[in-house]
Amino acid sequence: MADKTKYSEEELVSLLQQQDAPAFNYLYDNYSGALFGIINGIVPDKEITADILQEVFVNIWKKITSYDPAKGRLFTWMLNVARNASIDKLRSRGYQDSLKNQPLTGDVNTGGAVAVVNPRTDDVGLKKILTKLKPEQRVLIDLSYFQGFTHDEISKALNIPLGTVKTRIRAALILLRTMIQ
Amino acid sequence: MNIQEYISSGIIESYVLGLASPEERAEFENNCSQYPELITARIAFEETLENTAKKNAIAPPTGTKEHIIQQLGITGKTITMSLTPVRRMNGLKYAVAACLVLLAGSLYWNISMVRKNNSLTATLDSTNTKLKGVDEKMKGYENDMSMIVQNPNVRMAYMKGMPQSPQSFTTVYWDTTSHDVYLMVNNLPAPASDKQYQLWAILNNKPVDMGIFDMEDLAIRKRPMLIQLKKAQSAQAFAITLEKKGGSTAPEGQMYVMGYL
Repeated sequence: MADKTKYSEEELVSLLQQQDAPAFNYLYDNYSGALFGIINGIVPDKEITADILQEVFVNIWKKITSYDPAKGRLFTWMLNVARNASIDKLRSRGYQDSLKNQPLTGDVNTGGAVAVVNPRTDDVGLKKILTKLKPEQRVLIDLSYFQGFTHDEISKALNIPLGTVKTRIRAALILLRTMIQ
Repeated sequence: MNIQEYISSGIIESYVLGLASPEERAEFENNCSQYPELITARIAFEETLENTAKKNAIAPPTGTKEHIIQQLGITGKTITMSLTPVRRMNGLKYAVAACLVLLAGSLYWNISMVRKNNSLTATLDSTNTKLKGVDEKMKGYENDMSMIVQNPNVRMAYMKGMPQSPQSFTTVYWDTTSHDVYLMVNNLPAPASDKQYQLWAILNNKPVDMGIFDMEDLAIRKRPMLIQLKKAQSAQAFAITLEKKGGSTAPEGQMYVMGYL
């Protein structure tokens, strides 16, 4: 099944933009696992992550022409497609309704419009590394990266100055980077 | 601007992970166009991120790929650059396209049906007119036939051609009760334009004028077979002569046919 063909990123993007089927096969075979890991890191409900992955690949196929190599690598673009789809699902009405019957288990209740920060012990991948961060940094990364809140929203919700939010998040990111390298 | 400071400020991570604000993004992209080392640093982080993600990969459930391929309608054929990009249609677009095709088909069908209908109506009108004419003619024949065949009071005279025109042949039907006289022209040569045929009843060797007739009368009159002429109270024989136009009081022209009752 696995195609032995190896594409350069440039070739792969070009072929995908021409709606080339073998290129799609290659893309899925090489990136579905990494993207599925990303999605599972953001969405705790394992029953819907496969649906999100499906949606992500549909979006990649349909929006590949809007990918701009000057702004980043293909994987970065796909990662953000996966992250956005995951966060959209978390915020969707249907998903929120499904949570109403479940008890809140978060350890940091931020109140207001910001949802419960809920790092779980069985978290995978990038989120697993989060547990090594200091709590105040972890909250900020969780809210910004994993829940998709803007710095401004976080600033208002946590009553922390915007500049401080930005500085702390950047510091946390630098720290995370050293952890994954 | 100290580019190294900028590189290590966390902006790269923030930008790549999609956490930078629109202003920060614009500024970062602008800086990238001026500082190639910024791009190098960005790509380095992107590669780290990709490697980390691949290390933490989770295999999706089996069948997910097939499901996606089916949903996208990817056929497995390679579409070359020279072709126009395939525009993928979702269900609604297919439905709309199908409706348009059906509508166009329906319109075409309607128009062709209207044309066909008009054509058929015209043909029908023409046929009806012809049928009416045929019907009238048929009634004429029927009347003539009943006169000749079914009326027991009718006597007839076969009028044979004279030696000058042996092919000529006519028949007279004489109703002995109503005294009506009908002439059937079986065969007579067309007269010159200044001449007319005239029928005579012959009683005791004396000719009695029965009237002039034209061949065209057969077409004009309702009776296609018979020409009705003057009444004859009595007759022993009939004869037809060719007279000057308007007829004569006594036969002057050549006799064409004659026959006894």
